[in-house]
Parts: sequence; structure tokens; C-alpha cells
Amino acid sequence: MERNPMRRQLQTLRKSLFDQGYLDDQFVQLEELQDDANPNFVEEVVTLYYRDSGRIILNIEQALERKPFDFNKLDAYMHQFKGSSSSIGAKKVKAESTLFREYCRSRNGEGCMRTFQQLKKEYATLRRKLEAYFQLARQAGPVETACRPK
Amino acid sequence: MASALPSGDMGAAEANSGNGGQMQKKPFTFNEIVLRNRLTALVVDGDNFCRLLEQGILQAYGLETQSVNNGDAAVELIASGAKFDLILIDMLLPILDGVEATRRIRAMGMRCKMLGVTACSGERERQAFLAAGVDVFVEKPLGPEILIPVLRELDGQV
Repeated sequence: MERNPMRRQLQTLRKSLFDQGYLDDQFVQLEELQDDANPNFVEEVVTLYYRDSGRIILNIEQALERKPFDFNKLDAYMHQFKGSSSSIGAKKVKAESTLFREYCRSRNGEGCMRTFQQLKKEYATLRRKLEAYFQLARQAGPVETACRPK
Repeated sequence: MASALPSGDMGAAEANSGNGGQMQKKPFTFNEIVLRNRLTALVVDGDNFCRLLEQGILQAYGLETQSVNNGDAAVELIASGAKFDLILIDMLLPILDGVEATRRIRAMGMRCKMLGVTACSGERERQAFLAAGVDVFVEKPLGPEILIPVLRELDGQV
């Protein structure tokens, strides 16, 4: 049982990210790679994700402004985006990515546009929640963990 | 001092129930393997983030890694004589796709373990990648439940 109130709050916040379906077990795998030598590994990975994937989002937005839709290009962009998103455990974002790709394959432009709007919402929401989580984690300070064998 | 994650202009979203967030003990974690031998790996992924992440994960397990961002570069590297114990290769790659790159790498006689790590999830893609020569088809993300048994095998621990 965590005695530090801030760490309890952190645990609650973390649990909510999983309970509400924003994150899956892949995020846990990233946390397990974090150690004393790399205490901010997860935050660094997530920061890199949002930086890189932001460019893909922009590419997709621009591609959706061009008619007729190049579904092959849209699918390729989303393939890349889905891969990145799944690598940080972004569960809802990954789900919307999968749906978008299905609409690409069925050449459904309306479906693509609708799904992309939802994807951007999930993407932004996750970013806000993770920002809050990492900020709280920094305030709560490091927790003692067993050292990973080298 | 909070550092914001790279921003966009997005709105709010509804929350849905997830998997309960209960952390069940995973069958494998990174600290369940310590390599006894020097193992090398090549990561082939056109996405900068995925490439860096997969390299980071392999390095955390103790492997020495190289990476390239397209299939043609991977084939060139192997053709130049570079040898690896493990290759992680994505399916959709610039210049030369992962399926064809795998085929060419195998045609050169490279018999190392190859994992096709891709965001593709269809059965057709899976069969195509396996037919080209990957040993395992993995839908991203690559987790320890797949990676650790592979590393144990490569390290002679099995």
C-alpha cells in the first residue's frame, strides 16, 4: 500500500489510463525498461512518439484535402501511424487507426474522414492525460525499484 | 517544471471502459533473461520512432544493434557481408518493401532469425511475409512474450 499521498494519486491516475482504455500492456513493457540509468525513459519515448507522429497526422490531413482521395497513400500513412501508436500502448488511437485502414481498403472516403476526426480526438486526449501523468510523476519523485540485471 | 508533449489542435474525447487496469503478472518480463553471448541485431523500419524504440528495446536486453530505414539498405548491408543473429524487419518500407527485402536476404544465404514486425494484421500479409522467409510474423508492438523466447534460443539457453 503506497503511503505517499502523491504516489497514491499517481497510481490512481495510472490505473485510470488503463481502466478507461487509453493504454494497454505495451505501456507496461516500456515502464519495465525504465531504470535508474534511464529514469525518464517512458516520458522520453512518449515525447518522441508525439513529435514523430505529429508529422504523420499532418501528412494525412493534407492528403484528405486532396480529391479524389489516394487511398493507397492514406493507408500507407496510417500503417506507419498505427505502428508507432501501438508501440507506446496507445490503445484507443490504435483502434481508430485500424478502422481508418479498413475504410481505406473499402475506398470509403466518408468513413476515413469521420474516423480521422475521432482519431485526432483520442490522440489529443491521450497526450493531455500523459502530460498530466508525467508531471505528477516528476512531482512525486522516483520510486525505489529493483535494479534490472545488466 | 512540466514539459508539454508536442502539441496539436485537437478536442476532447469520451472515455470508455478498458481492461480494468489490473496489472496481472506477465509471463515474461525483461529481467527474465540475461544474455551469456554477444548477440547482434539489425532493425529495418521506415518509421523513425519505431526504429529507435525497437533498437532501444533490443539494447536493453543486451544486444548490439544497427538499423536502416528501408529494405534496399538492409539488402545492401547484408550483401556487404554484415552478419546478424537477429533481424527485425517491417513489411511496408520505402524503396524496397519488407517482403521483397526478406526474399533477397534469404536468397543470399542469410539464415539468421528474422522477425517480421509490422502494423499489418491480415492473414494475407502474414502468409506473404512468412513465404518470403521471416521466421515469425509479429503484429506491432513486439512484446517480451515473443522476443524473450527468441533471445533464449539465439543465446543457446533453450
